[in-house]
This record gives sequence, C-alpha cells and structure tokens, in this order.
Amino acid sequence: MLNRLISAGVLLLALLFGAGSGAFAADLLPLRFIPQWSPQSQFAGYYVALAKGYYEQHGLAVTILKGGPDAPASEALASGEADVATLFLSSGLQLRARGVPVVNVAQMVQRSALMLVAKKSKGILAPQDLEGKRVSLWDDFAVQPRAFFRRHGLYVDVIPQGYTLNLFLMDGVDAASAMYYNEYHTLLNAGLDPEELTTFHLADLGFNFPEDGIYCLAQTLAEYPEAMRGFVQASLEGWRDVFRHPEEALDIVMGHVRAANLPTNRVHQKWMLDQMAPLIFPPGDDTPPGFLEQDTYRTVAADLFEAEIINDTVPYRIFYDPRPSAR
Amino acid sequence: MEWVSEKVGQTVAIRVTGRMDAVTAPGFEQECGRWIDQGENDLMVDLSNLEYISSAGLRVILGTGKKLKNRGGSLAFGGMSPMVKEVFEISGFSAIFPIYDNLESALAAR
Amino acid sequence: MTPVPAPGKANGLAFRMALFILTSTTLIFGVAFGYNYVYSRDLMLKNVRENATHLTQALVRRIEGKLISVEQMPRYLARHLDNRNVTRHSLGVMIENMVAANRDIYGSTVAFEPYALDPEARYFAPYVYRNEIGGLVATHLGGDHYNYFLWDWYRLPRYLDRPVWSEPYFDEGGGNALMATYSHPFYDLSSGRPSFRGVVTADVSLEELKAAIGSVSLYQSGYTVLISRTGRFLAHRDPDRIMRDSIFSLAEALNLPALRRVGKDMIQGKEGFLRIDGLDGEGRVWLCFAPVPAIGWSVGVVIPEQALYADILALNHTVLLIGAAGFTLLLVVVVGISRSITRPLKSLVGATSEIAHGNLDISLPKIAVRDEVGQLSQSVDEMRLALKEYISHLTETTKARERIESELKIARSIQMNFLPKRFPPFPERREFDIFAVLEPAKQVGGDLYDFFFLDEDHLFFSIGDVSDKGVPAALFMAVTKTLMKGIAEQNRDPAEVLDRVNGELCHGNESSMFVTLFCAVLDLRSGRLCYSNAGHNPPLVLHRDGSQKWLALPPGLVLGGMEEAVYQSRELVMAPGDKLLLYTDGVTEAMNPEGAFYSEARLLAQAQEGVADSAESLVARVMASVRRFSAGAAQSDDITLLALSYKGTHASGGGGTSVI
Repeated sequence: MLNRLISAGVLLLALLFGAGSGAFAADLLPLRFIPQWSPQSQFAGYYVALAKGYYEQHGLAVTILKGGPDAPASEALASGEADVATLFLSSGLQLRARGVPVVNVAQMVQRSALMLVAKKSKGILAPQDLEGKRVSLWDDFAVQPRAFFRRHGLYVDVIPQGYTLNLFLMDGVDAASAMYYNEYHTLLNAGLDPEELTTFHLADLGFNFPEDGIYCLAQTLAEYPEAMRGFVQASLEGWRDVFRHPEEALDIVMGHVRAANLPTNRVHQKWMLDQMAPLIFPPGDDTPPGFLEQDTYRTVAADLFEAEIINDTVPYRIFYDPRPSAR
Repeated sequence: MEWVSEKVGQTVAIRVTGRMDAVTAPGFEQECGRWIDQGENDLMVDLSNLEYISSAGLRVILGTGKKLKNRGGSLAFGGMSPMVKEVFEISGFSAIFPIYDNLESALAAR
Repeated sequence: MTPVPAPGKANGLAFRMALFILTSTTLIFGVAFGYNYVYSRDLMLKNVRENATHLTQALVRRIEGKLISVEQMPRYLARHLDNRNVTRHSLGVMIENMVAANRDIYGSTVAFEPYALDPEARYFAPYVYRNEIGGLVATHLGGDHYNYFLWDWYRLPRYLDRPVWSEPYFDEGGGNALMATYSHPFYDLSSGRPSFRGVVTADVSLEELKAAIGSVSLYQSGYTVLISRTGRFLAHRDPDRIMRDSIFSLAEALNLPALRRVGKDMIQGKEGFLRIDGLDGEGRVWLCFAPVPAIGWSVGVVIPEQALYADILALNHTVLLIGAAGFTLLLVVVVGISRSITRPLKSLVGATSEIAHGNLDISLPKIAVRDEVGQLSQSVDEMRLALKEYISHLTETTKARERIESELKIARSIQMNFLPKRFPPFPERREFDIFAVLEPAKQVGGDLYDFFFLDEDHLFFSIGDVSDKGVPAALFMAVTKTLMKGIAEQNRDPAEVLDRVNGELCHGNESSMFVTLFCAVLDLRSGRLCYSNAGHNPPLVLHRDGSQKWLALPPGLVLGGMEEAVYQSRELVMAPGDKLLLYTDGVTEAMNPEGAFYSEARLLAQAQEGVADSAESLVARVMASVRRFSAGAAQSDDITLLALSYKGTHASGGGGTSVI
C-alpha cells in the first residue's frame, strides 16, 4: 500500500526508458508523454513508436511516463509534469471545463469499449433486469451508463467502482463497468465464461463516447506545432506498425509491463491488442484516423453538460485541432 | 485228387478218387513213398473212383511199381474205371501190373 | 518320379516352430507385461493420490494457520471500534501494538468513512508499518492521489459486509513483496441499524508462504501451486507466472479448455485428482488440488506423469531387457531344438529322396535319440531293407521265370528241330501223301513224330508222346527219335525197333520217364503196312469207301517202362485211297473252357467228313475242329496229328485192306 504514496519510482522508470530512446541527443526535442493508465496494449502504438524510432524520425526525444490510478494523466498534463497525454474524450472535456486549456490534437480511439457486465446467475438478462440492482460505475465514465439507465427508466443503486472487478466477482455488486478490451477479459481469466455473462455494449446501444485522444496544453501546441504534429503522426505510424506486427508489438508491451511489475500476462495483453484495431481504425468508417467529428464532440459535450459533469464547454475548433493528425 | 490208405494184413490199401494228372500225381507218389519207406512192399491201389489219369500219373505208377519190384514187392490195382482201364490197356500197363475187379477180391487173392 | 521340392526357408519346420513359439511367448509376455504395467501404474497412481492429498492437506492447514493467526488482532480491534469512539492517539497506539504483537503483520491501518471520525477530514486512516530494519513507522493513508475508498481492501468489506482477504498484490514499497490484506469492517451501532464506519486491516507478506510452497516438491519434478480466488498463481515454480498468469490465462495461452474447467473447479472450492494433457513443456501431468476455505484459494500439487512413472518406467526397462534377453535365449533354444529335430529329418529327407531314386544301399543317419524322429528313421530303414529284399526277390523270380522261359524255349527248339517240317517232304513220290503238325503246349509236352525212307519203297513213320514236360521231355523225345531212326535203318521190323529202343531207354532211366510210341513201315509197292505199338493211342484207319476203324494194336508197354517189355508187329494192307490218321492224346484230351475233353468221338466225326481230303487237309480240318472246341483255352499238352494217304504205285484201284 505504501507504493501508492510514492511516485518517484515512476520518474526513475521514465528516465530509464527515455535514455534508451536518445532523449538527450542535441537535435531532438525532448517530450514527456503520459498515457492515462498503466502500461498495457491499450498504448501499444506509443510504445512501438518509441521502440522503433518513429518519434526520433520526427525529431522527438519522447519519454513515456507511467500512468495509472496514482498518477492521473490529466493532473500530470495540468501541472506540466507531462507535455502530452492520452485522455478519454469525456476526461478531456472535463479537464477543459475545469479551466485547464487542453487541446485535443488527435482523437485516436473512435469507438467506446465501455460496457456493463452482469452475471446471468443474478437473473440479469436484459436492461430491465437491472432495476433496483447494485451497479458499480467508474466515476469518470458514468455518463454513458447513466444515460442508458435513464433511457430505460431504471432505478439503479450505483456505487463507485474501484480499480478491480473483485467486488463483482465476489458478488458485492450485481453489475459493473468494464472495458471490453480489458476488464471483460479479466473476468474471463478469473474463471467466468462468456455464457455466464450478460453484456451491454454502450457504443452499440447508442452511447458511443470516443475514448483515447491525444492532448496537450494549448500553449504547447502554439509553441511546438510541428512537434505535436510529429508526435501524432509518429504515434499513428506506431499503431499501424502494431497491427502489421502484432507479436513484435506484444513483445514491446510486455517489456513495459514487466518493468512496471504489473500483475498481467501476455494472453491478456494479446486480447487487448486484438481489440484495439477496430477501435482506432474502425472498419467501414471513412473518418480519417485521429479525426474528431464535430457532431460527436457536440453530442458528448451536451451529454456531459446535461449530466452536470461539466458546466462549461468550448467551441469545437478551440477544443480540437485537426492539423496534427492531418496527412 | 484224394486218397484214403489203410493197412489190411500185409497189404496197404489206397483208395483214390478224382483226377491224377501232372498237378496231383506227385502227392500220390509221396503217399506211396511214405508207405514204402515204412517197409511196406505190398501196395494195393483202388482206382475205381479215379476219373482220369494222365501220362504223368502213369509215370508215377510206373516209378512206384519199379521201386517195389526192385525191393521184391508188388504194386497191384483193385478195381479200375473203364476209362482208366483203357489207358492201362493202351499203355501196356495192364500187362505189367496185376489188376483185379475190385479191392475186396484183390485182397482176398493175396 | 516327381522330385520333392525342398522346403523354403519360410516353410521350414525350424522357422515355423521358432515363429509360433516366439509369437506365443511374445504374446504371453506382452500380456503379462501389460497387466503388470497397468496394475503397477494404478497402484502407483493410488499411492501418489494419497501422498498428494496428504501434501495438499498439510499445505492448506499451514496456509490457514497463518491466515487465521493474522485475522485475530484486526477482528479484535474491529469489535473494539464497533460503536465506540476512540481518540486519534489511542487509535495510533492500538494499531502500533497490533503490528508489534504479531510478527506476521507487516502493516496495519484503521480507515474510516469520509468524515466519520474527523468531520474535517475526508480521509482518515492512520497506518503503521515495519521498515526494512524492523522499526515501526507511523503515517497516514489517503489523499488526492490515494483515494482508498476505491481500493479493494476498503471496498470489499464495505460492500460485502464481512471481513475479507484481498487478492494478493505486489507491494512496491515493501521491496516488491507479495502481500495480502485482511480487512475487517466495523460499524456505528448507535442507531438501530448498524452503519459502516470503516475497516481495520492487516497486511501480511506472503513471501514466506510463497517460498515454502514453492520449495515443496514431490516425485522429483513435481511441484506445488497456489492460486487465488480469481485463479491467479500465487505460488508457482516459475516465478514469472506468479501474479501475472492465472490458471485461466494459461488455459487460454495453451488452448486447453480442460485446464480452464479444472481452474473453475479449483476456485469454486472443489477437491480433485486428475490428469491434464498438454501443459507447457511438461506433457501429461497429474494434478491434486484442495481448497483453502478461509480465503478461497486452492492448493494444487502437480506431478508430471513422467516423474510419477519414472520408477515404473525404470522397472519396465529392466523387465523389457530381461524379456529381450529371455526372448533371445528362447530363440537360441528353440532354434537349437528345432535344428536338432530337423537336422536328422533333413538327412532323412535326403536319404528317402535317394531311396526314391532307387539307391537302396544308402546308409540312413544314425539317430541315437529314441524319439519319434528316431523311430521314423528306423522305420524308413526297415522300409529300405524290405524294399531291397523285395526288389532282389523280384529280380530272382524274374530271373527264374526267364530261365524257365528260356528252358521252355530250348525245349521247344529241341523238339521242333528234331521234327521234319518240310511239306511235302517227298514231292517226287506219287505213291503217298504225308502231312504232320505238332502244336506244342506252353510247357513242351514231348510229342514227336517222324518219317523217313528205309529204302526206295519202304517208308518208316512214327508218332509218340513223352510222359514228362519241358527240357527233360524234349531231350527224351530227341533221344527216342534218334535211337529209333538209327535202329530202324538196321532193322525193319517195327517190334524189333521198339524192343531195342526200349532197351536203350530203360538203361539208367531212374526217373521212370517213358514214351508212348506207334511206329510202322509202309511198303509203297504193295501197300502192306507193318506196325507195332508201345502204349500209344490207336491210329484211325480211313478207307476210301468212307468206312473207318481204329487200328487194332498189339499189346505193348510204353518205352522206357520195363526192360522186359515185349513188342509185337502186325500187318495191314492198305488199298490205294486209304488213309491213316495218327494222333497223340493232346488231341482227344484237348479241353474246352468247361473242362470237357475233345474225345475220340469228335475225332471220328471229323475224320468222317474229311474222307476225301488230302493228308494236309485232313490234318488241318481236325486241327481247326480242335481249336474251335478248345475256344482259346490253354492246352496242357502238345497236340500232334499225322496223316498218311496211300495212293498206290499207279494209282490203280485195288482190293480192300487186309490183315496178314
């Protein structure tokens, strides 16, 4: 538990990785990047871009900081500890609403992987069955489920969701939030079979909040527009490389996982990697990679406003800059 | 050919039936020889029931007769069928051997 | 003779014996070996199951012992805090005492609900832990970067309303030790309904347990695993798997649905003993597992089958080696025995083959053993000797028969060579016509006939029959004929001739062989016939007028019978045209297949019919008649016919014949 207090180790690790990528070369611009969670395949594109030198090719000496529950990326970005961060669109909107002048320079994940899972053994087979049940929701990602509940007119006993699904596994809650690429598979690898679970994919149900986007402070973008564009482009190249060479990508991800001593395994990371492709490059979607649709932005902002998560919005053009991701 | 022989007094009487030819004659010769070897000198052969006699038969009779004659004995015939009698006549045997009408009269004549 | 083909290698007795015996032996050995293997394996498995079960039970007790000892203090403190207000200071002392009191407890906190103890503080959780050198350090948990309300150690007892052991975790601050936290809730009981106020926790290092479990081994390469409620490996011989892999992720990685089912049984608190195929780099393993009910974990003992059966496999190798050695020995013995059987058989086969090719002098192999082969050899030898004897006997009889046949041939040639066979013998003479035929029996009968001129006008002729057969008869016949001719040339009286021939033949005639003979001298001028007879059948006189009669014969004993025998001559005058037919008893006693004689009567009848015949025709007629009668039946005696037809000097008719 003590570790939760100490974040100095994170910096040490970041330095170690940074040294490997030639962070101190004179002609490269140093850049600190923090993903919004611990090392995992969700960020494979960035690790691969770093490992395979895409960032260097764009004149950047990128240092990837370790994110996670005890090192929120939004705070790191706001405090200036990190120059660039990934955030869910809703988190970005909240951060902006709190007055932190962040700019979305690329909307990487177009589709939401957020879902609700429930055990069929609890009698939950359809949305109506959630009536009166105890459901745990992540505070940060409660808007979509709540909107879902509203639409179905359900009264649900919502409790905050922690960092694991153990409460759900131990029947402390009837339903829980999960990311399809992560917690859902964790449940499978904790001995629950897909047939035992009822799932509600919020994107499929009409509550698609695009997720990971790349953010920096407006000031950073103003000062280093080329660096930001280079970071976005290199990251996209990294992601393309990931899906061309998934096993190599997995090796790279597992290197970061081991360095962080995380209790995860290759099978799980492979699952996650496999789920990322349709989220970043949705098949049949002609939206260019990294592009944030104006309509989507407005919908999400309106939903958050309505849910009283935010009380202020900025115009689309101020929140999102399409130039870094443009080809 | 079959024969029955018995000793009647000093005479050995042999009754012969059947055919005396090259096949049967040696047996008869042996029978006679047996008696002669026992010291009998007087043989009386009854040929009344002899159907046929060949030259081989005649030869045995001649040989036996000569043997007995040399020892001072005699071979005689008591009774003879007409056919055999004819053979004896033609061959001249009837001239050298005593021939009786029947065995009884021949024995009685001794 | 068809040669017996030599048996091929595969058909050989030795090969077949070896094949059958070794096949059956292999079968028996295989069955025994298989049974032994299966039985010992089952026995081994049973034994292993017992051992593994004992081991897992022991581990479960050990783990539970440790966990339960840790649970005591937090439970006590939680009870103490129920419905009781404590000061910050006394709370700190209590926590410190708790950590100090139990060496297994690495750290402890009492964490309150927001503002529950201090209305000013959202987070209140004094925390005491041991540092690296064993000293106790006091601090506080909670803050903007550590929202403990979201962590399992707080949430699980809060929402489950019961004390809970957390899922184990790596504590980075504690030297990356594997830890688990026991959290006991406490409540505000002041109102009617208890309301949750917070939790008392105790952090425990699992490193010691992990090391202890990891070091347990069974059957050389067997090892022990410990999995958490979610199937995560807490102890495993591969440290990389600990906390990272779960039994389910392993099942997914190895694509082993069976392993996933086992994992579900394990986390559901079941016990079991079963086999799993296809574990990474281990092949088949046996897994014995039992739950740790206090915490929902499961202990498993994994024993690779290879290790399990190492002893049995070693034993099997030994047994197989012994089997192979025995097999080889058996092979040698079987081949030896079958060789010892087939070697004499082979030589026997060779010997019999030689015998089959006619070599009866081959010596058979000496077989000392008095078994069936020995008996066979002996039988074959006996057969060989019998064959040899039979063949030599056959040769002898063949020789004897050949000799007899050659004797017969000699006899026949003697007989035939002595007879005049050229007809007409005197073609220039018109006064008479003579013809004779002698058909010898298979065994030469010794018949004879003869005719020759004594002078210009006197013809001597004769017919006879020797009483014996074969060469002696032929010789006797030859002697008689020679004697008769020699004597007749000096003395024309037939009686005188017979008398002197008789005298010569009786001389030294031990065998009592005799010959019947009729002889006559014909004066061709006058037709006067002077004749005599020595025991021969009376000839037939055929007059020109067709009357016939048997020629009246003087008495006369056969020639060679008695020296004292007397012969007489008689005379008859033949008129021209008269005929004489001389014959031997081979004619009248010729037999038909039914055994009847041809008889004088038939002879008379034939002569009657042939009254006008020439001598040759008369003979031919009678001979044909005899042949018809005998109808192919073999005759035992020679058949001889002689016909003389008197024609007179000028073929002028004369008076009747008359006896002088």
